[in-house]
Amino acid sequence: MKKLFLATALTVCSFSTLAEVAVIVNPANANQIDANTIKKIYLGKSKSFDDGMKVNPVNQDSNSVADEFNDKVVGKSGSQLNAYWSKLIFTGKGTPPEKLSNDQAVIDFVSSNTDGIGYIDSAKVTDNVKVVAKF
Amino acid sequence: MKKLPIAIALCAVCASASSYAEVRINGFASIVGGKTLDDDTTLYGYDNDISFKNESVFALQLSADLQDKLSATAQIVARGENDFDAEFEWAYLTYEFTDELQLSAGKMRVPFYRYSDFLDVGYAYRWVRPPQSVYNIPFSTYEGLSLLHSSQIGDWDSTLQVIYGGYDGTIAVVSVNGDTELNDIAGINWTLSYDWFSARAAYFVADTSIAIENDTPTGVALNELEETLRNAGFVDQADNIAIDEDDGSFLALGFSIDYNNLLFDAEYTEFEVDNSALAKQTQYYTSLGYRMDEWIVHFTYENNDDKHENSRYNALPSVPPLNQGINLVLEGSKAKSNVYTIGTRYDFHPSAALKVDFSRFKDDITDTETDVVAVAVDLVF
Repeated sequence: MKKLFLATALTVCSFSTLAEVAVIVNPANANQIDANTIKKIYLGKSKSFDDGMKVNPVNQDSNSVADEFNDKVVGKSGSQLNAYWSKLIFTGKGTPPEKLSNDQAVIDFVSSNTDGIGYIDSAKVTDNVKVVAKF
Repeated sequence: MKKLPIAIALCAVCASASSYAEVRINGFASIVGGKTLDDDTTLYGYDNDISFKNESVFALQLSADLQDKLSATAQIVARGENDFDAEFEWAYLTYEFTDELQLSAGKMRVPFYRYSDFLDVGYAYRWVRPPQSVYNIPFSTYEGLSLLHSSQIGDWDSTLQVIYGGYDGTIAVVSVNGDTELNDIAGINWTLSYDWFSARAAYFVADTSIAIENDTPTGVALNELEETLRNAGFVDQADNIAIDEDDGSFLALGFSIDYNNLLFDAEYTEFEVDNSALAKQTQYYTSLGYRMDEWIVHFTYENNDDKHENSRYNALPSVPPLNQGINLVLEGSKAKSNVYTIGTRYDFHPSAALKVDFSRFKDDITDTETDVVAVAVDLVF
């Protein structure tokens, strides 16, 4: 039993480090969105898409997908991002993206909000959302 | 008058809470314990007995997004040094004209320094406290307006802020409690940043009046000299001692680097109140840090030099005793000191950091050294 647990844990670990993160938007969103734009959106520097629509980003709540995304796309650790946002929150200069608890919640949010953008484990992508980039 | 913006912000927050707007609650806290290492020494509010109160802070921020680009924010801060009495330190309304331009009105922080805006949010920086030789202006908030313009110039982010307002309160300059009025505080503050590099310049002016109370020997000496000069008909010389509707100016330049886990920060500041007994202050610090995953180690050097221009001396050669009195007051307002700090920050939790700083303060005028050690836990929520 112990071994099984260990094996499972190992699989989960190796899986999570190798997992690919997909950045998803609503299928109705036709904007071109590159890695740099995504980074700016998640740092609160870009507040609208190219076509002028307000951007409504969501994060995941400190899970492995979030860690992966922060590391690969935003280039900051969870603590560094917390420090970054605390500088903006407590000075009225910005509000961090809302945190959702898992991939499915992000898919639901993005598929029902035209201005939504989020990231999920790329293996979980469904037809209800459009992938704009993979990392 | 001072209460009005707070009242407005509060009403807005309450009104929105009961209707449809979304109210966000954020907070931060720092629990800091520290002491000086020698008997009969004091520094940063510590003495030789350990205190967990002196620099500890709890704060809650309520912000409500009202409709149509309007938001209301209030920050309530409880400081250990004030027996944790909660006070509104920020209370303002913000109107967003565009993604790039927003106007705020109410009670806010004067953005003197790079870390001014989040001075109390220990979690946002690496030290237990930002370098005090530079971060030493004895008041920090104002009531008025702030116009903020954020934009992108190529790969650079630009943040330009213009403020206008006033301050009315008591601050400790020369005497402990001096009624202070700063009118027409106006200033500009520009930050340019590129990924790992950021540079900042700020300039402020204010019409400055500070009443000197007779609650310190220096205060008594200063008031006596001013009165003697005035009674003897030397009005100009008396005015040059008093801090009454004098032009105050403040300049700050700074930059910071965060490159491949190497951190470097420097700030230079100048502060002057023309035609007053206050000496011109020149300060700077440089700080080097290195990040190893959850750990940061850092080393900081600070320097402070306060003195009057030579031309201010010998203002009344015809009356030697008074001339000498003026020279003594000018000489007495001199200060020269430096501080070395080594410290470490450990992010033991995604929202909390543990810090230890050791600082050695050296007063070059009295040739004395004071050591302080402080341990802090900073969190944001």
